[in-house]
Amino acid sequence: MKGMRKLLILYASQTGNALDAAERLSREAERRACPFNLLSVDQYDPSLLPQEEAVIFVVSTTGQGDTPDSMKVFWRYLLQRNLGQRWLSGVLYAVFGLGDSSYQKYNFVAKKLDKRLMDLGGTTIVERGLGDDQHPSGYEASLDPWLSSLWRMLNMVKPEFLPNGPDVVIQDTVLIDQPKVRITYHNIANDESHFSSASDLTCLNMQIGSARSMHPGKSSSDRSRPGCFLKMVKNLPLTRSNCGKDVRHFEFEFVSHVLKYETGDVLEVLPGQDSAAVDAFIRRCNLDPDSFITVSLREMDDHNTHDSRIPVKLRTFVEFSMDVASASPRRYLFEVMSFFATAEHERERLKYFASPEGRDDLYQYNQKERRTVLEVLEDFPSVQMPFEWLVQLVPPLKPRAFSISSSQSAHPNQVHLTVNVVSWTTPYKRKKKGLCSSWLAALDPCDGIHVPTWFHKGLLPTPSPSLPLILVGPGTGCAPFRGFIEERAVQSRTNSTAPIIFFFGCWNEDGDFLYRDFWLSHSQNKGVLSEAKGGGFYVAFSRDQPQKVYVQHKMREQSQRIWNLLAEGAAVYIAGSSTKMPADVTSAFEEIVSYENEVSAEDAVRWIRALEKCGKFHIEAWS
Amino acid sequence: MDGAVLACTDGAVLPVSQVFDAIRELGNGGLEQWDPLVLTSASLLSKLPVDSSSVDFVILIWLSIDCPVDQLIQEILRVLKVDGTILIRKSSQSAVGSFDKIISSLENKLLLAGFTEPQVLQSAGIKAKKPSWKIGSSFALKKVIRSSPKMQIDFDSDLIDEDSFLTEEDLKKPQLPPGDCEIGSTRKACKNCTCGRAEEEEKVLKLGLTTEQIDNPQSACGNCGLGDAFRCSTCPYKGLPAFKLGEKVALSGNFLAADI
Repeated sequence: MKGMRKLLILYASQTGNALDAAERLSREAERRACPFNLLSVDQYDPSLLPQEEAVIFVVSTTGQGDTPDSMKVFWRYLLQRNLGQRWLSGVLYAVFGLGDSSYQKYNFVAKKLDKRLMDLGGTTIVERGLGDDQHPSGYEASLDPWLSSLWRMLNMVKPEFLPNGPDVVIQDTVLIDQPKVRITYHNIANDESHFSSASDLTCLNMQIGSARSMHPGKSSSDRSRPGCFLKMVKNLPLTRSNCGKDVRHFEFEFVSHVLKYETGDVLEVLPGQDSAAVDAFIRRCNLDPDSFITVSLREMDDHNTHDSRIPVKLRTFVEFSMDVASASPRRYLFEVMSFFATAEHERERLKYFASPEGRDDLYQYNQKERRTVLEVLEDFPSVQMPFEWLVQLVPPLKPRAFSISSSQSAHPNQVHLTVNVVSWTTPYKRKKKGLCSSWLAALDPCDGIHVPTWFHKGLLPTPSPSLPLILVGPGTGCAPFRGFIEERAVQSRTNSTAPIIFFFGCWNEDGDFLYRDFWLSHSQNKGVLSEAKGGGFYVAFSRDQPQKVYVQHKMREQSQRIWNLLAEGAAVYIAGSSTKMPADVTSAFEEIVSYENEVSAEDAVRWIRALEKCGKFHIEAWS
Repeated sequence: MDGAVLACTDGAVLPVSQVFDAIRELGNGGLEQWDPLVLTSASLLSKLPVDSSSVDFVILIWLSIDCPVDQLIQEILRVLKVDGTILIRKSSQSAVGSFDKIISSLENKLLLAGFTEPQVLQSAGIKAKKPSWKIGSSFALKKVIRSSPKMQIDFDSDLIDEDSFLTEEDLKKPQLPPGDCEIGSTRKACKNCTCGRAEEEEKVLKLGLTTEQIDNPQSACGNCGLGDAFRCSTCPYKGLPAFKLGEKVALSGNFLAADI
């Protein structure tokens, strides 16, 4: 038997979709007896790529056409000009991209990767697949036919990879896959023995770190322990009640120790789950909440004895690392549930949901309705799954990222957030709420709850005081710019600073004009936003009159003022909703450059692109 | 000093000139006077027809694009004398570049078989030595730890502009499938709807549940009480939690109940 190479599956995941698709790919490979390696891109040395026989890439596009964090180093390596046109000669590859066509740069990462691999001499197994979250069936509408083509073509070019052939009929008697994790139960008489010497905050930190570090959904770059704990000191509404929006201003103070942050940074908050929901989940699955467990990957058998894992209570593990009442499960959960369903009609329905024929109905029932794991389990009462499968299949509890809306120069011991409390009605008319925003909105500053948080760099780099700024931030997009303006106001007391022009947009002047007094005070009396200093503050109210007025309309009114700042070397920052605003605002900038310079539209587009290349055009957007 | 040379190939023919080129590669000019024993189709042999520890040098001229099998490596180790040398190099008829792909795994194979001092040669070959100790000895394998991917990148080198990979076609958004105007489907009517969808949606909304349907639920298909996973697309109970037929639909007490 020759030393057979393996099919290499590389995924670059930002929110977990690419990992989920890659894991499905690996399960299908395993059923076809195809040897494979499944790795995140940051676990793989790109210089070994020419030695592979076949590589499958599953890549997400994040932010504004950005490569996922785990792929940045790999991608930079591939972009080296000295890699020749025959560097990947003889290597077979295929690319599947996951994207969202509501963003401007739809699946750019997959498209660029596919082209680059071809330029390096690689040979495609199958044409690239592009998954779209906006499709009525989600990205699986593209993944299902792409996988069928992949196995068929791979069998033609490399039949030794698929000794059983490309089509595998799964019999009813076929055993399901093994769960990825193994649960070890510990007999600990005194539950205080591990933490009795620690303070309450250190104890909470260790519990959170221990529970989250053992979860298999934790990516290698995640930090399990919170960077610090904050307590809420203010919870103020910024919008008038019944105006259709609920936007809050939160002020937090550092509890454990003060961390440094800069304007433009991002705060990640670990949301607290509803106690009743966690209890209901534990009851529904017949678990003992007080048992002590450690969780390890099954494939790490030989390393298990060297682990220094701390046993945690099962309820603590569920509470801090398993999202039971907010996130929707993946399709694989329904497939595994079908093996554990004892009622015939439930098993039939679950198998239907897991099949290609039932994909649309599953998408409607699960993803479109934002069904939670607890709701799914309650709809199928005969299913009793082992806890190992639940750990693997329940989505991990993820921190939520918010732009920091304060300047540490102005508030040394505080962090401020501007949060839109999310709620919506599903197609079946069920009310749903965002987990983290609703939890934060319900926090009472008098309760003294410790909020676990992490600080991260965002997409908006901190500007220097001498850099003129053009800010466009409708709605909660204004949050990071509040920090920018606070910071520059502090700086302007000691040094002269460059001007800031800011365009804000909202629905109604008396409904949701966020931070009205703050902007107005800084735009008068030679404040950092005042026209006397070369800046300005302009508001677009989109629903106060019959015709729509958006921030780009206000920008066109101030065309010359904007161009004057651009000519002085100003940087542009855009923040807000990802649907249409960034594209419309970018078009407005192009029109302004074209009009004020009397150049063609193509030249204006190139000018804006050059601004982006030299790092003076930044967009932070969210859906 | 007299010595023995064994030359093997996986091909059917092995020109003597290649053997002497390889002997010269070992850096011992005096070997040209030796008379090598030549074996062809070596990969088909399960056992080399030579005594153990009887050969000073083994030369393997490799033709295939796959690695030599482990059994052949083991046999070569058996027939070599202590401190003997193995040289593996590609045949001149091999495909260009094929040997480069297997050189690193070949090095691993030699180490695992028990050879020491593996050395990759400029002329697309590799040589190694049989150790001078006996069975049961041990020593640490000294291999350089592979540097992390970051160190591999030459940050001074020119990077290609990644936007040049995108064509006009790539900038277009995909066409979502037709049938978007089906009532009950995913999208809602626009605010300034002109195709009549908004009026159709209002008709659907008016189909609310009656008091009778709440107090005394009935179901012809038997699926209405099972939960949304089982209900038909036109079921009036969609969005409500599961219930038992004939009993009043209980909305309070279950914290997951819809807020109506």
